[in-house]
Amino acid sequence: MTRADRILPPRSTFTTADGLEVVVAHRGRIPLVSLRLVLAVGSAADPPDRPGLADFTVRLLRRGTARLDADALNEAVEFVGATLAVFAAEDFLALAVTAPAEHLGTLLDVLGQMVREPTFPEDEFETERRRVLAQFANDLDDPGLLADRALQRAVWGAHPYGHDVAGNRVAMERLVRADVVGFHRLYFGPGISRLVLVGAVDARSARPLVERAFAGWRGGASQRPLPPPLEAAVGEGQVVVVDRPEQTQAQVRLGGLGYRRGAPEAFAAQVMNAALGGGFTSRLVRAVRIQRGLSYGVGSSFEPMRVGGSFLVSSFTKVETTGALLEVLLAEVARMRGRGPTRAELGKAQEYLAGLFPLRVETNEAVASAIADIWLFGLGEDWVDLYRSRIRGVTRADAARAAASFCFPRPPAVALVGPAEPLRRVAEALGPVTVRAAAEMS
Amino acid sequence: MPSLLRVHEATLRNGLRVRVVPSPESPVVSLYTFFRVGSRNERPGITGISHLFEHMMFNGAAKYGPNEFDEVLESHGGRSNAYTSHDLTVYYDDFAADALDQVLELEADRMRSLIISERTLARERDVVKEERRLRVDNDVSGLLDEELHALVYQAHPYRWPVIGWMGDIEAIRREDCEAYFRTYYAPGNAVIWIAGAVHPEATLRRVRDAYGDIPAGPPLPDVVNAEPPQRGERRSVVRHPAQAPGLVVAFRGPSVSDPDALTLDLLQFVLAVGEGSRLSRRLVYLDRVAVDVGLDWSWRLDPGLLVFHAELAPDGDPARVEATLYQELARVAEEGISDRELAKAKNNLRAHLLRELTTSSGRAHALGSYEAYLGSWRAGLRLAERYSGIDGAAVRAAAERYLDAGRRSVVTLVPGPGP
Repeated sequence: MTRADRILPPRSTFTTADGLEVVVAHRGRIPLVSLRLVLAVGSAADPPDRPGLADFTVRLLRRGTARLDADALNEAVEFVGATLAVFAAEDFLALAVTAPAEHLGTLLDVLGQMVREPTFPEDEFETERRRVLAQFANDLDDPGLLADRALQRAVWGAHPYGHDVAGNRVAMERLVRADVVGFHRLYFGPGISRLVLVGAVDARSARPLVERAFAGWRGGASQRPLPPPLEAAVGEGQVVVVDRPEQTQAQVRLGGLGYRRGAPEAFAAQVMNAALGGGFTSRLVRAVRIQRGLSYGVGSSFEPMRVGGSFLVSSFTKVETTGALLEVLLAEVARMRGRGPTRAELGKAQEYLAGLFPLRVETNEAVASAIADIWLFGLGEDWVDLYRSRIRGVTRADAARAAASFCFPRPPAVALVGPAEPLRRVAEALGPVTVRAAAEMS
Repeated sequence: MPSLLRVHEATLRNGLRVRVVPSPESPVVSLYTFFRVGSRNERPGITGISHLFEHMMFNGAAKYGPNEFDEVLESHGGRSNAYTSHDLTVYYDDFAADALDQVLELEADRMRSLIISERTLARERDVVKEERRLRVDNDVSGLLDEELHALVYQAHPYRWPVIGWMGDIEAIRREDCEAYFRTYYAPGNAVIWIAGAVHPEATLRRVRDAYGDIPAGPPLPDVVNAEPPQRGERRSVVRHPAQAPGLVVAFRGPSVSDPDALTLDLLQFVLAVGEGSRLSRRLVYLDRVAVDVGLDWSWRLDPGLLVFHAELAPDGDPARVEATLYQELARVAEEGISDRELAKAKNNLRAHLLRELTTSSGRAHALGSYEAYLGSWRAGLRLAERYSGIDGAAVRAAAERYLDAGRRSVVTLVPGPGP
């Protein structure tokens, strides 16, 4: 590897007395630092009758610790101009802070308290539950989100990746504080966690601050929970129509299985996808937007997760042209499945992906996220630095193979959101149609 | 902060202004072109033309035909996009450093010789209508925002949405677009910002070579601000099949050239930025009348708006939210804010200014926006200093002046069947 290939800054690592592994990367001239604490447990570990538990637990962390109530915690973060984001994904939980570098110690202390000694106060629990329930209700006004949710359910079914990270209304109404306390006790600990610090920081000065902040954090899981793999999309060849009679525009999603995060076929799949539905010059944009003016937006994408992933085609159009849009989408995906990208498309896709890659790891937050992902998904320490050469190494045969495996070799699962009757008529040709009321999607 | 940035600048004979910010640490370059034109330069009958025109800029010029702009850019490892606001239209390209000459040629080609054909216009019109269906007609917050602007502004072009009324999008003709291009896309109405792995002198030379022969445009027509004074609160109701009621409240604010604009930046942080801000604590956590609350105060060239928006639960009561909101606003106007709140707002604005400057794209965009709104990019780099000179009394006075019931417009969302 030459120097020009190196994108990630040099990293130093250490382990605290209580066993938390820490990665520190110094970079940049701006006096800011990003902190990212990840835990290798996410919504896929939610108990089957408690979907949303991981997400709800992590939301409550900032609503009180043994030494800081919610107001004091927010004041500690916000007074110095720092930002704190706490979120859940399918395979991990993350606490992310960006702060002026001189306040690193304070922010580490806050993070340490949040994971070590959250108190989950009963009244905060109720307030947050009310907010989440309201969010589920208000989500029903967002047609794009309903379409994404309907497709996720159609592809994954009862698999742990099949429920919304936030759960659903019924589970949220049932949830009790003991569930949250239990989830925290079962999983939270240094054994499945890693702390990443990036920016105006070095390992030597950071180490004592980290030791102090996380002192006494023990227990939790020693093994990461892993969901089982899925062999075929559950709802393949079936159509779900979510009825929203007032809409003048239909949201359209097609989906099937993709690859797992870190799979060797990831690079060929990404090159193929860039040609099919990536940038502004992809086949789908050309066919749908440029040649026919059918939509403002269209694209395809892979969503790789730890044990599997999905492949998604997404667009929208006025209700009257939904049939025409579906026809074009399916025809373009089928054409790609047949022969893969042309030589010219392959070259352009490779330049596009490789050329823009440095922008994806330009900020401290993005670098911290990349370093955390390398560990979470077992990508290999050189994953980021080798990305461009691996993209450039994809051959036409590789890309054609990826197209054959992912571009709906079996009929896709289909989700449509809009007025049911006209949509049912255009969808019938694609497979058995189930119409659902929007309220069933919360 | 200024020590991190060196800006090299030049003005070409045709009026085009160029600024270059070298930063060698990343192999990528960002190029922004700021045109001082937006929906405020429109008139009834062609509302939305600024935004529709932004789409047309990707549809071919004399040398590079339809869609070649993106073809060439993407095959050189780049990407481009644009946005239109009430005041500005901004185009940007990110690309690998060795594609600079190619990108300058593409950008100069479309500024020199854009081609607007009936065919591409008809197709782009359909695309924009889908965009409007997405962002406004089928989106609750889009509907409320559109209603609010039409309520607040009676004469000023801020009255209509940037994307335009559906009937106007349908009616805009090719000749309208051509006149628009000649008037507003001349080099004298543009500023180019280039940031990233570039050599400043060589880059300025290349820009001269690429753009130097484009003729200067005609003088620009003035935007008339004929907005009459507001004589009392205005209210409006939107009926739409939504899950929950909703509320947006706007107060008429100053233009960015008024020193109060910066005082309101501070007030925005005190009231509504962060979980610990006054409105979030009171409305969401203490009284629990809303599930989320926000305040949008954005700089505008002509007098703009402070807009409060509250997200409610399905059983929420907008009247209670409104009453509680006004109590909190009155508290600031009457009692002012604490020294600690003032210091916190300043710390946050300082951190925000730093974060904007962490990437090449961020630097080009932030400095270009400062120049467009404040008159010079240097004024942008002095912002932290100017914020630090604002005291609590000024914040209280601004709250008293601008958060007055007589400057208020209120739109309530009532769930129910639409038209």
